[in-house]
Amino acid sequence: MSTTVAQDRYAAEKQKFQELFDQTEAANQQPAHPLDEYRQRAMALVGQLDFPTRRWEEYKYTSVNRILQPDYAMGQVQGVDAADIKTYLPEGMDAHLIVFVNGQLSESLSQFAELPAGMHVMLLRDAMDSDRFGSVAREQLDGILKDQDDIFVALNAAFSQHSLFLYSEKNVACEKPVYILHLSTNAETPILNSHMNIAVAETGSEFAYIEGQFEKPGATGTYFNNIYNRVTVGANAHIHHYCLQQEGAEGFVINRVDAEQDRDSQFSNYTVDLGGRIVRNNLNTVHKGSNLTTNYYGVYFGKEQQHIDNHTFIDHAVPHCQSNELYKGIVTDSARGVFNGKVMVRKDAQKTNAFQQSSSLVLSNKAEMDSKPQLEIFADDVKCSHGATIGQLDESSVFYLRSRGLNDHQARAMLQHAFIAEVLEYFKHEQVRDFAEMLINQKFEQ
Amino acid sequence: MLTVKDLKVAVEDKTILNGINLEVKPGEVHAIMGPNGSGKSTFANVIAGREDYEVESGSVLYKGEDLLEMEVDERALAGIFMAFQYPVEIPGVSTSNFLKSIVNANREARGLEEMNAMQMLKYIREKIELVGMDEKFLRRSLNEGFSGGEKKRSEMLQMALLEPSLAILDETDSGLDIDALRIVSEAVNKLRTQDRSFIIVTHYQRLLNYIEPDFVHVLYKGRIVKSGDKSLALELEDKGYDWIKEEVDAVAV
Ligand SMILES: Nc1ncnc2c1ncn2[C@@H]1O[C@H](COP(=O)(O)OP(=O)(O)OP(=O)(O)O)[C@@H](O)[C@H]1O
Ligand SMILES: [Mg+2]
Repeated sequence: MSTTVAQDRYAAEKQKFQELFDQTEAANQQPAHPLDEYRQRAMALVGQLDFPTRRWEEYKYTSVNRILQPDYAMGQVQGVDAADIKTYLPEGMDAHLIVFVNGQLSESLSQFAELPAGMHVMLLRDAMDSDRFGSVAREQLDGILKDQDDIFVALNAAFSQHSLFLYSEKNVACEKPVYILHLSTNAETPILNSHMNIAVAETGSEFAYIEGQFEKPGATGTYFNNIYNRVTVGANAHIHHYCLQQEGAEGFVINRVDAEQDRDSQFSNYTVDLGGRIVRNNLNTVHKGSNLTTNYYGVYFGKEQQHIDNHTFIDHAVPHCQSNELYKGIVTDSARGVFNGKVMVRKDAQKTNAFQQSSSLVLSNKAEMDSKPQLEIFADDVKCSHGATIGQLDESSVFYLRSRGLNDHQARAMLQHAFIAEVLEYFKHEQVRDFAEMLINQKFEQ
Repeated sequence: MLTVKDLKVAVEDKTILNGINLEVKPGEVHAIMGPNGSGKSTFANVIAGREDYEVESGSVLYKGEDLLEMEVDERALAGIFMAFQYPVEIPGVSTSNFLKSIVNANREARGLEEMNAMQMLKYIREKIELVGMDEKFLRRSLNEGFSGGEKKRSEMLQMALLEPSLAILDETDSGLDIDALRIVSEAVNKLRTQDRSFIIVTHYQRLLNYIEPDFVHVLYKGRIVKSGDKSLALELEDKGYDWIKEEVDAVAV
């Protein structure tokens, strides 16, 4: 039981979320849906849980206070047309596109592609209604609410009305990625966007999905993208999950991913964080079967006041599994980066092979980087390596490039790009890699 | 082209160049020789624009402009090219992207249009052949893991691509086997024109068999203590530096 003292810290903020929830429920025109019952249960859970404070070890470097202060409302589809979408769907990017504007689904801006038979993408509420997926969907939702101790997940489940359900049947390979695009535009009030993705790959299947979270250029609003992903990778299956984020100066993000892998499977997460006021990613994977592989590849670039916190966790619970984790990032101006990479190798997880590397460049006196590898190893026959470096650009390289006629800015951009490019090489889908590269280059040019 | 007058340079309060005078006219090739630590690289670096050095006095005019006021990249765009004694390795920067960027940066500075991908490929191939490099280097990271000889050739390739007015080669011949040396010097000879000048820093007279200099200078203790034509290089090869050192040190005492 939590103490009342701890709960009081954000009691007023919780109350505001409760009021917003009540308002949206009252305004809800649609007939009650089984999903609504889950949402109400989730809201009740919010009441029982606490928002983290900096006294929590996991939030030592990241205060959520700023995220909780605005008076949020639900958003509307506004200020976006097909031309805006093009920016985020560059040539060569062939995807099944689902567009959300200010947290609301826009079917007209979406571009549904033809997916192979056996690859299903639908609203979670429709999945619950269907004979085929009803029980899977409910199981997943029950799993999310059961013993949930993360208030942001509870908050997400309470507000997420357009949750998506992605499902690949046994042995189905879907080459075209599913692309879930969140755009934030100017709104009159701070906007709360809660979105949940439930991704399930059955035995031997493979698919990729991209979460793109962007603020429309020129927009200036305050918003909070509270995102939750629940990923279940079946035996011998592979899910590729891309997170591309470029949020506005007053954009807040909490993105949690809980992945669970069965034997012989692969889960690959590729994250590109180009900032927001506060971005916190919680990426967790639990191993349920042997001989599987988990890949985490992350790139971040923080400028100005941006705060980017990547918290990752890999739970090696069974023998003969492998994990590869490579994060590289740059912070400059007054930006702050945090990397916390926890790897747990439990007693039974013999023959584990866990690799972790986090490297960063800190380019100004006011920028700050905290990098913390956290290996907890309880098995004795394992190979685990980790490294964390924090450095600056090599000035003799800058000089060399300038001696060939590149100006200082070009030279530094080239070196920064080179630093990050190593990670992009691991991005499996070339079209996504090119897109990520373009976004990064744009940021260098700013 | 280049007029150096009484140039004095220090590093960390230690005077390294102690009054250099040198006049390089368009089309001339000057060789600078001298014992280890005499200040040859320092001189080359100061001309190229390295900032670790403190110019205590003197002046350098390049094409009539005050060179010492120009930033390193301005100098490059104005046509000064330095082939480094120890080129840095830059992991992650692909050689081909790097070459494209520098060619286009220099073209832009000269008021020429950027080359498109096809033109660029053709141009780079042409010059690669000139310096006898393997095309596979284009896909590798710049200088990373290149052998000493490969690094020197990569420098020559960049020189060939940028077509400078004044090229400074700092010991480009050191560590090259005879075949490589021949290729490198042929490349230099092909680039020799009426208005392109070279300053070639070397320890070995051997190079000057291939690249015939108009002048040979001996740098010792931060000063040009002897100048002559190519026969001076032969004499040095024969007798070493001791006789020059003795001459100079005798005067100093
Ligand atoms: N950055 C520096 N800091 C301190 N001392 C330096 C620096 N650069 C050069 N020197 C010193 O200046 C002197 C001249 O060095 P320089 O490299 O110019 O000689 P060099 O003639 O090129 O020698 P070599 O033939 O060995 O290449 C040496 O004593 C060297 O140690
Ligand atoms: Mg030298």
